[in-house]
Amino acid sequence: MHRKFWIGALGLALLISLGWGWNEYRLAGEYRIAAENNNRRALNDFASHLDQVETDMAKGNVASNPAQKILYLSQVSSKSDAALKDFAQIPAQQTGLSYVGQFLTQSGDFTRTLAQRIAGGGTISAEEEKTLSDMHERLMPVNQQVQDLILRMDTEKLVWTDPDPSLRQRLGLGTQVAEAAADGSEAPSKSVRSGLDQLDASLQKLPPFSYTGEYATRVVEKPLGLPAGDVTRDQSLERAREFLNKAGYADASPEFAGESQGPLGGYIWNFKESYLEVSRQGGVITLYRDQRSIEPKTLSIEEASNKAKAILQSLGWQLAITSSEEFGSYVQFDAVVEKDGVRIYPDKVRLMIALDNGQLVGFDASPFYAFHHERIFPTKLTMEQAVRKLRPNFQVLESRLAVIAKSGNQEVYCYEFRGRYQGEEYLIYMNASNGAEEKIQRIIKTPRGEYLK
Amino acid sequence: MKLHIRPWGMVITIGLLLSIALSGFAYAALGDRLLGRGSKGSEVTELQKKLVQLGYTVGTVDGKYGSKTEDAIRRFQKEHGLRVDGLAGTQTIKELKRLTGQSTNASGKAVGYKNIDTNLLARAVSAEARGEPYIGQVAVAAVILNRIKDPAFPKTVADIIYQPRAFSSVDDGQINLTPSASSIRAAQEAISGSDPSGGAVFFFNPAKTSNKYIWSRPQIKQIGNHMFTK
Repeated sequence: MHRKFWIGALGLALLISLGWGWNEYRLAGEYRIAAENNNRRALNDFASHLDQVETDMAKGNVASNPAQKILYLSQVSSKSDAALKDFAQIPAQQTGLSYVGQFLTQSGDFTRTLAQRIAGGGTISAEEEKTLSDMHERLMPVNQQVQDLILRMDTEKLVWTDPDPSLRQRLGLGTQVAEAAADGSEAPSKSVRSGLDQLDASLQKLPPFSYTGEYATRVVEKPLGLPAGDVTRDQSLERAREFLNKAGYADASPEFAGESQGPLGGYIWNFKESYLEVSRQGGVITLYRDQRSIEPKTLSIEEASNKAKAILQSLGWQLAITSSEEFGSYVQFDAVVEKDGVRIYPDKVRLMIALDNGQLVGFDASPFYAFHHERIFPTKLTMEQAVRKLRPNFQVLESRLAVIAKSGNQEVYCYEFRGRYQGEEYLIYMNASNGAEEKIQRIIKTPRGEYLK
Repeated sequence: MKLHIRPWGMVITIGLLLSIALSGFAYAALGDRLLGRGSKGSEVTELQKKLVQLGYTVGTVDGKYGSKTEDAIRRFQKEHGLRVDGLAGTQTIKELKRLTGQSTNASGKAVGYKNIDTNLLARAVSAEARGEPYIGQVAVAAVILNRIKDPAFPKTVADIIYQPRAFSSVDDGQINLTPSASSIRAAQEAISGSDPSGGAVFFFNPAKTSNKYIWSRPQIKQIGNHMFTK
């Protein structure tokens, strides 16, 4: 009797677990197919967009009528963006810098710049014509190889990513495959990803394009505003202590916490809950952050702004506060250089003031030291001439001269107009020498302050 | 006929009046009274939703003011310069309502929260840099934004975060957890232009990574457990 019961119970349990297993297997299968479909869609979209980029680039090269040229160049730029988006969705083993991605970003960027210029009545130089046809030349083999990958997916059953080494290979019983892959030889790729990686490697060997645009390959930036001469670690400690003293910590004894590299590299110091960086060149404080706990607030934003001004002065800065953003127990202020009535936005210093006692809890002068230099202002339109170039019915509330950063490392000397149009508020930046609209920002009021978008 | 209907009409009317009176109780607006440990009802649910929206976890949003909700209120008070008492009084609720409100344009028209990217960025920071110093969290957010400016990466926050194998927190699903308050702040700060990473486009934990590629990148600085590289 007992035995029969147990056999029955075990049999039932087996049936239930079989049913459960089958259901899980079926579900996993469905997920696999959904994922596979997504991957295929990304790859196909990528190949198709790339092909359109190639075709439109050829047409853009030959078009002579501005309207046609703008049409094809804009298509290249929007299809390049689309191809980049697809490319970023194809499965990979790891993510690194991608030269295929870089190529697509730059072809989109370059053609957009050209299209905008022609639309504004400008022309393309012979050199730019050459860059455009070079880009096309470079794109053709890339396009071919991607189409070849699609073909091979059907004929050779390519997988998405290289499989992890099997147990046999890991134990050293079959190392041949791994070796062939490791020596970087152009063995036919086993997976879609390795095919794309080979493409990446071949693009990496080619020199970068030189052109002016938002994503032009950036040259190694040298900070423009750091004082000359290097400081030692001991000297940097002195600078750190001076700064901490002004931030409310008399007789601080900071601890060394390592060095940082790069254009604004230097020495890192920690004191209590604060973090501080002193640049190697010039020995100035580039970054400070106090993460102490902040008590209930006793100051209004107005009062904090006055504290910020006082602290800037005690640190030896002559700057104008341009904006504030509230972060609960502290407020963040941005201050910029104002010289002869011109606001120089790239030369920015950021401060954070605690609302419990008005002490400095954050300071970031890296933008200032990266961009500050003596600027020569070109001749400009008069304010009246500039105002006349604004659209009708734009109601100006504030106006001034300013320098703003444009794409890359460029700067523009502008008239800044803050004004209203149809119930919205905007900042319009107009090139001070030729009256061209350089930038428009819409002002949004968020719960934490004004926001420019 | 009429006589037959009338009693039903009475019942319906009384029922309606009762339900209106009761709903008045149940749906008292948030801010009408002091909420504290043991409070219950839809006001507490609303309070909890606002706390979660700002990154203060309350366990489950269940309309019961328990220890987790009290704890969240304390943290919110602490980080917003309010008196820390664990009670949701006029000031605390006013501040919560203000911070969870929509943005407006110049003429006061609501234009939505305007924080789509901030929210995703905060999730990534929360999942990738939990337990790191705050400045390290800002740096992680800055790395993602630096990638947008770098030609070799995709051009939107979502494309960068969901790029296959770019972030381990995407692979294991941690990216979908509610972001913490400090990571929301870190994301906001990075979006407003702070970059403590010094222009980095990668970061990794030196103690946990043997990946050759990532070690080959030029290093900029270490903040907390993360090394930031070009």
